[in-house]
Amino acid sequence: MQKFDIPYIALTERLRPIKNELLTAIEQVLDSGQFILGQELSRFEQEFASLVETDHAIGVANGSDSLFLILQALGIGKGDEVITTSQSFVATAAMINNVGAKPIFIDITDDLNMDLSKIEAAVTPRTKAIMPVHLAGRPVDMTALAEIADRHRLHIIEDAAQAVGARWRGRPVGTFGVANGFSFHPLKNLHAIGDGGMITTNDAELARYFRKARNHGLENRDQCDFWSFNSRLDEIQAAVLRVLLTHLASATERRRLLAKRYCEALKPYVTVPEEKEGELHVYHSFVVQADERDALQEHLSKNGVQALVHYPTPLHMQPVARDLGYDKSSFPVAFNASKRILSLPIYPELEDAQHARIVTLISEFYEGRSSCV
Amino acid sequence: MRVDFSYLPQQFENSEEIFADLRKLVASCDFTLGPYVEHFEKKFAKYIGVRHAIGTNSGTDALILALKSLGVGPGDEVITVPNTFIATVGAIVDTGATPVFVDCNSQMQMDCDRVEAVITPKTKAILPVHWSGWPAEIDQIMQIAEHHGLQVVEDACPAAGATFRGRHCGTFGHVNAFSMHPLKLLNVWGDGGVVVTDDDDLAAFLRLYGNHGLKDRDHAEIWGVNKRLQPFQAIVGAHQLETLDRDLEKRRRVAARLDLSVQKFSDFIAVPPRSDGANGAYHMYMLRAQKRDELVDFLRSKDIDCKVHYPIPLHLQTAAKGLGYKRGDFPECEAQAGDVLSLPAHQFVTDEQIDYMVACISSFYYS
Repeated sequence: MQKFDIPYIALTERLRPIKNELLTAIEQVLDSGQFILGQELSRFEQEFASLVETDHAIGVANGSDSLFLILQALGIGKGDEVITTSQSFVATAAMINNVGAKPIFIDITDDLNMDLSKIEAAVTPRTKAIMPVHLAGRPVDMTALAEIADRHRLHIIEDAAQAVGARWRGRPVGTFGVANGFSFHPLKNLHAIGDGGMITTNDAELARYFRKARNHGLENRDQCDFWSFNSRLDEIQAAVLRVLLTHLASATERRRLLAKRYCEALKPYVTVPEEKEGELHVYHSFVVQADERDALQEHLSKNGVQALVHYPTPLHMQPVARDLGYDKSSFPVAFNASKRILSLPIYPELEDAQHARIVTLISEFYEGRSSCV
Repeated sequence: MRVDFSYLPQQFENSEEIFADLRKLVASCDFTLGPYVEHFEKKFAKYIGVRHAIGTNSGTDALILALKSLGVGPGDEVITVPNTFIATVGAIVDTGATPVFVDCNSQMQMDCDRVEAVITPKTKAILPVHWSGWPAEIDQIMQIAEHHGLQVVEDACPAAGATFRGRHCGTFGHVNAFSMHPLKLLNVWGDGGVVVTDDDDLAAFLRLYGNHGLKDRDHAEIWGVNKRLQPFQAIVGAHQLETLDRDLEKRRRVAARLDLSVQKFSDFIAVPPRSDGANGAYHMYMLRAQKRDELVDFLRSKDIDCKVHYPIPLHLQTAAKGLGYKRGDFPECEAQAGDVLSLPAHQFVTDEQIDYMVACISSFYYS
């Protein structure tokens, strides 16, 4: 495997300075002898709820499970449809499928989030919910989405897996839907040392349901109110997350600063993900749309910079979606974008000089090309 | 004197070796699958004696994956027992299938004589539980399954290390599940599980389905789930495997001594029959006792942390309302729910503590 001077992810850089802090947190859990549903988790849930400005936060095993549990709680299942975007990680659609419902994809716009103007045409009598994805950390226009959902009496379930801290018109994502899912996968802005997830809701009854549903449907040790599985956020993960949570604000600020600089410098060459009115974008990824994307990626790679494509195959074009009846002409914007998108390294540890180097390589690439013409 | 049910602080008192690996993990940031999970899986497979072991996020997840890999789903029936932890049934229901209960026998295991009576054209699998870590009569269950063309999933969640005629529980069925919950003998620092099989195709499905259906980073072959074992738990599990046989030996010694000591209370206390060829893991040390609830209160007042697994059988749970069972359907299981108790009998229980428990039981019944 190629070793990059500037890798796409530098998790090791992030954790090195706080390694001892993390190990101490783990050791404290060990000393407590309480590994599941203990104090660390309830503290983290409180801290997360206050960060997202929601009444209830319920820790679960991973982001996928958060969406699955929400869909299940709302009674969405066989015969139902859920409208979502064609550009997301596969788990978004998988969870809709796994509760027995059918994912209905719609196209995206230039900002790579779902095209809200396409929703109403996709609504049928079977539609139960809309699942917007705040892709790459950019909030969906939740005001417009809420109007559409209200008009058709549909639930909103936010897939906020990539968007912890993002805001729409000043209000945090994860507070607009009836219940909403977050992920703490290692590559997320706020992450565990493995998988983790969270459900947020302002509905006290749903919150009570989730607390049981993540723990076998148990009301107490001996009484099972409904059959369920097990999706708990380990105490150790909660302890690690509490440590990383204290670094989130400064990390987000740094991401946003790097993004701003990228936008200014790269605007002449590629389409940049500039923040629009009302958005607070947390830049989980910094996704540009570039002509000659593959050549640009190759140019960066040759010069020691790792850039990735999130995601090269839109959901409706995945092998698993073959029976859903879509083809590449179904969603032209998503399909075209999948050929043009490129995620550049963006993480708090990215040094100014590294950032400048990436900018130089990209401008050289396009300047060189134009001078050849 | 105190006798605690939990022994985790003692077990992990000296965890420097585990921490050495955790330091490496945090330095490497291999937080999704990766070398630590692979190492654990190979080690577990070798220990149990199977071709494939796949780490999962919990024992429940291992059961769900096992059933899914066999194609169990809506419209299917799965035969299991009503005296188990609720997750056994939670997993069946999660796949969309219907649980069908058969009563247990005096060993607290699936009563093989009753299985054939509940097989219907909808039956897809039999899911025996090695309850409390004691081996079910797995050879007979396999025979019945073969005769009727059914799949078998062993719920070996409480039974890592238990053997039946020299062969590990969890190696008889087609796909089988283990738990590494902190209260299990083979335990990690939170939730964790393992699903095992000898079948290469099933193993490939289990790995694909349990990791979002992704055949590579960018292509989803099937709709999947995320049920991955966490690498830090894999590290803990791999270390625990090193000491599992030693801990098993200690538990078996504690159990043997208790078996012998409580013989003198045979008017009040019954030890489940210890059948030939079965070598239990004693995840729990369970007895049947007259005046159980008073005995439990009394022992607790003497700082003996005994427990009841479980006072409400699964067919009488609120969750089971839709299944159509009623009290009286499973008399053996219901009788056991009324008189079982679990004494603390883990690897850290000393002879003095055993004698103390026996003395307390004696004073409860005789004074």
